[in-house]
This record gives sequence, structure tokens and C-alpha cells, in this order.
Amino acid sequence: METDPTIGTEDAQLLAAYRRGDAEALGQLVEKYKRPLFAFLSRFAANPGEADEWFQETWVRAIEHMNVFRQKNLLSWLFRIAHNLIIDQARRKKPDCSLDAPVAGGAFLADLIPAAALSPADEAAGRDLGRHVAAAAALLPVEQREVFWLRMDAGLPFKEIARIQRTSVNTALARMQYALAKLRAELAPAYRELQESRP
Amino acid sequence: MNPKQLEQLLLLEQSGELAPAQRRALAAELAASPDARRFRDQLRALAAAVPPPAAGPAPDAAARIAARLQRNRKSLLAFRPVWKPALAAAAALALLLGIQTFRPAPAPAPVVAAAVANADEEWTDPLDADFTELEELLYAIAADESFEISEL
Repeated sequence: METDPTIGTEDAQLLAAYRRGDAEALGQLVEKYKRPLFAFLSRFAANPGEADEWFQETWVRAIEHMNVFRQKNLLSWLFRIAHNLIIDQARRKKPDCSLDAPVAGGAFLADLIPAAALSPADEAAGRDLGRHVAAAAALLPVEQREVFWLRMDAGLPFKEIARIQRTSVNTALARMQYALAKLRAELAPAYRELQESRP
Repeated sequence: MNPKQLEQLLLLEQSGELAPAQRRALAAELAASPDARRFRDQLRALAAAVPPPAAGPAPDAAARIAARLQRNRKSLLAFRPVWKPALAAAAALALLLGIQTFRPAPAPAPVVAAAVANADEEWTDPLDADFTELEELLYAIAADESFEISEL
């Protein structure tokens, strides 16, 4: 069987080997990309079990729709499928729910959630900026959260993130800026601590 | 440079996507502004504070993915030999039912048929006269070799 010329040689060879019936080849591909893909999915999943389920689903969709794959980078293709999956799940779980949604009393949803986002134990451990970042990021709208984690975890450039989200680089950049603005507001006390602790 | 522009350039710097002109502009801004440098430090602190991601999927993830793919393929293969004969059978059934239920359109009642015939006879199309004139003109043109088309 011929290898697919649109993707990296090694990945194409492994895919071709899998199509010939070599299950080990699929194992190698999964192993190669498991960290960034699982990390990304786990930022959106409710628990590790759900992240595991989404991880498998992403791979199954990727392999079954390999005929429409036109990129050179298999990981980008996986992220794109993961993006679709996350958007589907977000729509099912929280239709029309946004941090910017106004609620009674002229406040916004984002104003009400933070207290619930961190457990009392987390609040007590206020010095742990990392936990604050993760908790605050979990409250961002899904598109902004995607940009944030694709940048922070996966280290993807904005050009690639824009491709995954099927948008422009400027929009991806703007989403990151919105995300940072919200995180900055959420993390203001922790930020101050961080700044003060610096020599 | 306003804070939004500065942040954009700092983000592009972090992702390695700065154009040369942007790089020069950012360097100038950072050199001139302590606020810009402080802003950059904040951004770096945030990036450094991001907690590490989850370790990875279940150890048997690859085997489970392979099993799901195999299962999906089997169900597709199981479906494939069935759908074509099923479609053919459905088409044959539809044809048979169509033949059995077919009835020719009934002839119009005598009164209606007579009315239609009368209407055909009595009605004259006003355009008919125009077409007749045009026809005569065309004959005249054909007969007269000296007739110039521009005369039309």
C-alpha cells in the first residue's frame, strides 16, 4: 500500500502499516502524540475517565476520516478533531452559557462563579498560583480556553491555533487577550502576592 | 504603543511569530518603558505558573482504540452486503405497488369536453394577427432581393 504523501513520512509509514493490519503501528502513533493530545483534552473533561474516552474517540475519528486529512502535521489534525469534539460536548453540556452572560441583579455569571470554582482547601492554599490559574481558566468560554491551553500546554503558534479553530490569526490572538484579561482579573490577588514575593 | 498592541506583540514574541518590523518596535518599547517590561514579566509569570497537564491516557488506550476501530469496521462490513439487496427489494416492491395501484386518468364528462371544444373554437389569440403580419413581411423580404435588412 502507498504511504500518504500529505503527512510526515514517519507518520505516513506508521499509518500505512496500520492499514496493512499492523496494530503495533497504531500503538506507536498513539504513544507519540498521547501527551499533548491528552493534556489538551483533560483541560476540558470533567474527570480523567471522560478525558480518556475523548482521547479514544479523537483517535477513532482521526483514523476513520483519514481520507479527508490534508495537513502535513498529524498532531494538528488530532487537535482539530479534538476541538470539534470539545465544541460538541460544550454545546451539549452548557447551551448558551457564557461567563459574560448577564444574570439577575445586573451582575455577570463570571462574577458569581469564582467562589465555587475553588474548593475551601484550594482557597486556603492561596499561594498556589498554578491551581488558581487552572481554576480560573476553567471558567473561560470554550474558544478562549482552547487558545489559552493550546498556547500554554501544547505551545502551538497562533497561526496553527487559528487553523485548528478555523478562524483568523487575529481572532485567535484576540481570544488569547480576552482570556488573559479575565485571568488577570481573577488572579489579581495571587498576582500581587507573586509580584511582592519577587526580589 | 497602547497596552493591547504591546500585549499582542509580547504574545507573538512568546510564540515565535514576530515579524522583523514588529520585533524592532517591541524592542524599542521595552527599552523605553518600565511599564512595558513589567507587563512582560507578568505575562511570563503567568506562563510559568501554568500547572502541568495530566500525565496521559490509560495504559491500554492504544489497544482500546484499535478494538473500537476493529468493531466499527466489522459493523460496516456486516452492513455492506445487506444494504444493496435491501435497496433492490425496496425498489422492486415500490414498482410492483405502483403497477398495481395505477389507474388511467378518467375521461372528462361529456359536458366538460363540449365546453372545452367550444372555448377552443371561440377564443382567438390577439397575437395571431401580429404573427401573420410578420410572416407576410418575411415572405416579402424573401421575394424582394433588393430588400435591405436595415429597412426593418
